[in-house]
Amino acid sequence: MSLERPELTRLQRWMQEVVVHPGTVEEAIESAEAEREIPSEHLGEVVLPSHSMTSAERIGVYHGMYLMRMEEALETDYPVIRYHLGDHQFAHLVREYVQRYPSTSYTLNRLGDYLPQFFLDESEWPQAAFLHDLARLELAMTEVFDEEETPVLGAAELEDVSPEAWEAARLQPIAAFRLLAFKHSVIPNLVAFHEDRPSPSPRRRASWVALYRRDYSVLRLELSRAEHDLLRAIVDGTPLGEALAVAAASSKSSRQQAKVFRWFRTWISEGLFTAIES
Amino acid sequence: MNDNRWGLPDLGLGVGLRTTHYSHILSEKPEIGFFEILTENYIDTGGRPLFLLDQIAELYPTVMHGVSMSIGSTDPIDFDYLAKVKALADRTGALWVSDHICWTGVLGRNTHDLLPLPYTEESLAHSVERIKIVQDYLERPLVLENPSTYLEFGASDMPEWEFVARLAEDADCGLLFDVNNVYVSAYNHRYDPVAYIDAIPADRVCQYHLAGHTNKGTHIIDTHSDHVVDPVWELFGHTIRTVGLRATLLEWDADIPPFEVVHQEVLKAGDWRRQEVADVA
Repeated sequence: MSLERPELTRLQRWMQEVVVHPGTVEEAIESAEAEREIPSEHLGEVVLPSHSMTSAERIGVYHGMYLMRMEEALETDYPVIRYHLGDHQFAHLVREYVQRYPSTSYTLNRLGDYLPQFFLDESEWPQAAFLHDLARLELAMTEVFDEEETPVLGAAELEDVSPEAWEAARLQPIAAFRLLAFKHSVIPNLVAFHEDRPSPSPRRRASWVALYRRDYSVLRLELSRAEHDLLRAIVDGTPLGEALAVAAASSKSSRQQAKVFRWFRTWISEGLFTAIES
Repeated sequence: MNDNRWGLPDLGLGVGLRTTHYSHILSEKPEIGFFEILTENYIDTGGRPLFLLDQIAELYPTVMHGVSMSIGSTDPIDFDYLAKVKALADRTGALWVSDHICWTGVLGRNTHDLLPLPYTEESLAHSVERIKIVQDYLERPLVLENPSTYLEFGASDMPEWEFVARLAEDADCGLLFDVNNVYVSAYNHRYDPVAYIDAIPADRVCQYHLAGHTNKGTHIIDTHSDHVVDPVWELFGHTIRTVGLRATLLEWDADIPPFEVVHQEVLKAGDWRRQEVADVA
């Protein structure tokens, strides 16, 4: 029995099911999702064979390019994970990931947004906890790269704050800023990628990083736990007097207390803040 | 030969703006007619790409070329996307906004591929209706590119060139005529590319595309990864004789060589344009 001409909606649903299927094109055409739209025995009526290709081979061109495109996009956002896993395992990761989190955006820049979540979902995945941390680092780097440009708090604005207002003042970070705490050491893997050295094996060790953008370049500050905690308090809106007092109180010596104020000066000079509310 | 009906200018020769060429363009300021920017590369960033684009748009005319309008999709039109497209066009002063005669996904998904439409009355009416809505929203003519395709639907009841011509007329939109795509699809589907070119309404054509491709033997893939082949140059010559001179752009998106190589390639189109002017004179 020949196929009644499929209306546009059905044809597009069928073609998409075939194109995004993770198996071979034959498996895609015979998948339950594709069969629901157009039974596979009608393939030759829906897609005409050419002088040199079968109907399956012709739609296979689109099917074959789909995963390649997804892999290319995810490699752009996650070069360190790709470097760590190698070609074969990264391709496997992409195939699994886009099944669970296919693109729903007009831009491929958002395709990788759920990779950290994927490694939480897939705790059986080899090195999942480490890869979750590494994915968070790389996702934050792309976010910092793409964030809106916001003005940096200048010396003049700081000087305008009266000494008595400092206690209650709150600092607002620039948009292109992310503060991250990891359960694993991830920066050595980033460095190894950039230096073309073997990617280190995962190491479970707490680490803290501030990512920010200056002159349109993404920069990082590796932090101690104490630095992270103080910076976290500040960017969460804790009044400066309170945040600095807590940090200073937990410091054991006056030398360490001086360090707290040195951190603060570094963050200001690196341009991590856009405004001060006093 | 006619101009296009909107009076959109012939910007001469241009190339697609690619990140690997930013520093060369800004330091050397090459003599080139215009740059075509990939819409989706700039609508969701406030960082370096937009900062550099602003500088380039100060120096050169720009046009926008998108891949996600999905004009033939049966999904609802994405007005959030259109709002960003419009805002970018306003920001850069892009002379026109283009996309493709295709669909990219349904059911809320995006395959990020330029998928082919069946050339039927149903898909023609559907696309025409959507183009009109999009043009009203963007408040400027939409310019749509003929696709390169790797399959033919049994449901099609007209040739691609008839579909493209009727689409442009019925929707009152512009055409970005990709000469390489005509060659690729003609090879893949064994039709006459000259018949295609001759059927295109000249006054709707606002821009040309040229590109290299990859011949797999059984079929050609539109990879934009190489020099333009001689048969495509010949078709370009026929196109400018038939349609007229229009802003002509070279696309090179994979294995991108240094800017000078891309620039030299598009300058070859200048030879064809000069020949055409000489012949007319």
